[in-house]
Amino acid sequence: MAADSDPESEVFEITDFTTASEWERFISRVEEVLNEWKLIGETSNKPPEKGEYTSGVWEEKGDEILFADFRFSIRHHYLVQEAGEREETEDTGEDSIPVCMQDLLCTNNDFPPVAHCLVRWYGLREFVVISPAANDAVISESKCNLLLSSVSIALGNTGCQVPLFIQVHQKWRKLYVGECQGPGVRTDFEMVHLRKVPNQYTHLSGLLDIFKSKIGCPLTALPPVNIAIRFTYILQDWQQYFWPQQPPDLDALIGGEIGGLEIGKLPFGACEDPICELHLATTWPCLTEGIIVDNDVYSDLDPLQAPQWSVRVRKADNPQCMLGDFVSEFFRLCRRKESTDELLGKSTFEENGKEVADISQALSKLTEPAPVPIHKLSVTSMVHSARKKIRKHRGADESPLNNDVLNAILFFLFPDAKSLDGSEAKASTSTGNISSQSESEDYNLYSQLKSAPSDSLTYKLALCLCMVNFYHGGVKGVAHLWQEFVLEMRYRWENNFLIPGLANGSPDLKCCLLHQKLQMLNCCLERKKGRDEGKKGSPSSSEAAANRTPSDTLSPGEANKYEVAKSWDSWSDSEDEFFECHSDTEELKEGSQESARKAKEETKENPLPKPEGRLHQSGNLTLLRTGEPLYIPVTQEPAPMTEDLLEEQSEVLAKLGTSAEGAHLRARMQSACLLSDMESFKAANPGCCLEDFVRWYSPRDYIEEEVMDEKGNKIVKGELSPRMKIPNNMWVEAWETAKPIPARRQRRLFDDTKEAEKVLHYLAVQKPADLTRHLLPCVIHAALLKLKEEEAAEDVPSGRKAIKQIISHSSKVLRFPSPDDKKLEDVIGQMLNVEATIARARSLKAKFAVDRCEKSDEKEDLEKFVSSLLEQPEVPIVGAGRGPAGTIIHKMFVSAQRALSLAPLEEEPKRPSSSDERRQTGTDFPSPAGREVILRSSVPRPAPYSKLLPQRMYSVLTKDDFRLAGAFSSDTSFF
Amino acid sequence: MASATDSRYGQKESSDQNFDYMFKILIIGNSSVGKTSFLFRYADDSFTPAFVSTVGIDFKVKTIYRNDKRIKLQIWDTAGQERYRTITTAYYRGAMGFILMYDITNEESFNAVQDWSTQIKTYSWDNAQVLLVGNKCDMEDERVVSSERGRQLAEHLGFEFFEASAKDNINVKQTFERLVDIICEKMSESLDTADPAVTGAKQGPQLTDQQAPPHQDCAC
Repeated sequence: MAADSDPESEVFEITDFTTASEWERFISRVEEVLNEWKLIGETSNKPPEKGEYTSGVWEEKGDEILFADFRFSIRHHYLVQEAGEREETEDTGEDSIPVCMQDLLCTNNDFPPVAHCLVRWYGLREFVVISPAANDAVISESKCNLLLSSVSIALGNTGCQVPLFIQVHQKWRKLYVGECQGPGVRTDFEMVHLRKVPNQYTHLSGLLDIFKSKIGCPLTALPPVNIAIRFTYILQDWQQYFWPQQPPDLDALIGGEIGGLEIGKLPFGACEDPICELHLATTWPCLTEGIIVDNDVYSDLDPLQAPQWSVRVRKADNPQCMLGDFVSEFFRLCRRKESTDELLGKSTFEENGKEVADISQALSKLTEPAPVPIHKLSVTSMVHSARKKIRKHRGADESPLNNDVLNAILFFLFPDAKSLDGSEAKASTSTGNISSQSESEDYNLYSQLKSAPSDSLTYKLALCLCMVNFYHGGVKGVAHLWQEFVLEMRYRWENNFLIPGLANGSPDLKCCLLHQKLQMLNCCLERKKGRDEGKKGSPSSSEAAANRTPSDTLSPGEANKYEVAKSWDSWSDSEDEFFECHSDTEELKEGSQESARKAKEETKENPLPKPEGRLHQSGNLTLLRTGEPLYIPVTQEPAPMTEDLLEEQSEVLAKLGTSAEGAHLRARMQSACLLSDMESFKAANPGCCLEDFVRWYSPRDYIEEEVMDEKGNKIVKGELSPRMKIPNNMWVEAWETAKPIPARRQRRLFDDTKEAEKVLHYLAVQKPADLTRHLLPCVIHAALLKLKEEEAAEDVPSGRKAIKQIISHSSKVLRFPSPDDKKLEDVIGQMLNVEATIARARSLKAKFAVDRCEKSDEKEDLEKFVSSLLEQPEVPIVGAGRGPAGTIIHKMFVSAQRALSLAPLEEEPKRPSSSDERRQTGTDFPSPAGREVILRSSVPRPAPYSKLLPQRMYSVLTKDDFRLAGAFSSDTSFF
Repeated sequence: MASATDSRYGQKESSDQNFDYMFKILIIGNSSVGKTSFLFRYADDSFTPAFVSTVGIDFKVKTIYRNDKRIKLQIWDTAGQERYRTITTAYYRGAMGFILMYDITNEESFNAVQDWSTQIKTYSWDNAQVLLVGNKCDMEDERVVSSERGRQLAEHLGFEFFEASAKDNINVKQTFERLVDIICEKMSESLDTADPAVTGAKQGPQLTDQQAPPHQDCAC
């Protein structure tokens, strides 16, 4: 390390010896960094404003430097100030001292609530720290001195006026030494850190003694010492204060409430107090020596009399919050691999075996041509028997969910079953209620999150599974409930009961896949019912016309009415492979026409067969050949699709490639619908031609022109567009093959039986983990709504902002089919944070009894105070100990002290040292947990004729930590 | 298709597929405004006065280079007839961009633009980008919709606007390239703010695995 140990120095050459050794290289590296950061020269900044250290922005820059192979990190911390112009030292007068030295005396920013420790201790606005990069430490004294010398040289060489610190000893001790140099002046930063407090330093007079002796003032009349003192008191015992959150009663089961939680509601709040400590800082910002007495026998420092009070709260680190737990517990299910059967154990295996038999039986019923004899059953008895059937396979003792809970949940999910049970079917069920929901922002949240509407069955199911998972048997309970749910779905399919709580129409691709699947099942049910009713020619079939409306509008509630008996009658007809279209207004008009139907099958010789399947007349259009009015036929609706089906289909289409043949094949594959429409059209309009069809179907492909005939009369002449005239084009081809068959006797475009079975199978194979993934968006949706609701009750601005962010974040995460687990965890974590924030607000409001405050203006102040406690690190109290908030805090301390003195003294008081006991100012407050003192003075050093220079000493005393941080400046001009 | 594109906004599929990103684009608009011609002009640089009226939905592929990235465009051409609305709107959700087309010689097709735009809002993904195109601008003699009206409507709807001609090859390439640029801009925006799109691209197997239930064994 020393220069003479370097072999290079032996060589007889012209060498730059200044950078020959590691030490010199280190110094020049430090200089380089200081230059790079432009810390050379002098700044002419104003002294910092009051509180600027807290309100302003602090920044830092970092770099790494090496001393031999020992790595140091060098960091520059600074307050961003507007006019931060650094000029070269030329025009400055001799008496100017570096701004950082001036800061030592500035009282505007004592005790900043959040700051680097060096800022708190020395009041600096800017400094550079060199500390060991790794977890190393510079321990030995000689090494410390070596580093300090390097710093000194670097500062001297560069003319940098920013204080430069070295961190020594173990990092946790936060022990720094440093130096600041200006023209003709130097400040040494020194520090003492002790575990045991020497008795004489626990009070002001002792500290003054040490300060004075350190300065070693050469003057006989010592300039006055400015003193700032802060005592911090900690309140930990909140017992007297009512904590508003009641733990849920896990055993209770009353009415609709399970586990103290109503079904379909989410729990909320922290299980423990999310505010664990209150720190009261009492400050005497400006005292002078002699005004007060504070020594080992007596003290004037009564916290109640302190001119400034400020409070901060310490929040519990990770308070257990119920909503957060609820959701994360559910999310944890994603990682369970077990299938429903595995979870429900052997006994249910057998049952499942039977179930499979049931399914195959159901299928054979559907496929066998012979009608299956089924008795006419009343609705009620069917519901009961189905329930019984479900129950009897499993003893009550072995099932994870007990019957009461299960029944309550099932009735919650299927409110229609209840009314059916009471054997009087109510017209409106929850399906009908959906339309009345407001188009509010909250309601539409589902399309952002890809969940499901908040009043839908899917959403409710998600909540129930979540609750079952949390309170009733975990993953097994989930498996059990799911199994019941799937059974219910099959039951409804087989018995033509529409599923409640789902919007009508084809699956909403904005919702989660599971919701789409359920909607699909309902579509199948509707078609099946419609077909049954159409067969019967029942008058109620007209209501099914509502189904033609697009998916976003909703049919009246009565569409959901159970018409079981009818369906059961016609159930056996469902093997019929022909499609019966629901809405035959024409059929209503014309009544029976079975005879005509027969006669028309072989129509070739019959020039104009009887029209069939008419919906209504199309304006004034008439058929070109016959002059008969043109009728729009009843047509088959295209097949509803869930997103996975759609994906499958478009993949098939895409696989055909982009060649002409591929395109042709694609068109052919999609022509079923066109052909079906053409057939319906032909059936409704006997004697029609392609031109007639085109005029209805694609009007722009029929071009009309006014022409003059021989007699000069204007007549309208029309013809097909050129593209329709392309020989052998798809349309012509289809037209030629189309036979006049009304929609209800065509082959079904949508095989509802098959699709329903596919859905039911899909549902049956979902594992609890899959379910969780399907339903997590709904749970997140519900949790967000809950947070919004709770936030609105408490009015926490930061919470409101955070909720908005979570919504936008989670909508990004949930948009993709299988979101990243890590991101989902983030979302859940963010929700937990908001929950904790709201719980804290609630806790603080209870503690400061905001609600019980009578005077409205005081109440307002208190509310403001409470909300700033949450959002700011430290809040000053208006009126200190005498203000309304101060009075409450005082009372809290008094009652905590009283409780302590009443309590049996099992534990020793926190600080049993004799001096503390003596110095306690009455019993209102405990002994301070922290005492901070800043002593400041301007004293010429080292000689009486030296410049008047800032001197400062900071001391902090806590339970087992004592620190003195001194900054002593001296004039270097003549020394 | 839906997941192959919409799920991966900026999809970085396996490099062997010869592209860095794949965008799905839909061309919509009334019947016989020239959607198919427009697409053929762009993808094959060909023009035929009459294409068979599209049945259902059809597509073409074109790969272009943009900012040193190979972007594969899968452009879906839809049938414009009213009757096909339900079928075609199902495809909206997977599209990242739309070309909404009308025929400048046909008032009705222009009046329907508002309607189409509502359909996009209802069925598409919120971030989907839309361009309004007035086609057949070569037929100046038969023009009934002035470009000013087109521009105003586009502004009102918040779309960018082009007048184009598939026949004379005016603004066809520009339209598609502009749309691609807008999608790219939007993409980098959403990548900046939060990056779910990037990792969302790594589509986990869980859901999709179960999404295809074994149809064979369900006895239908």
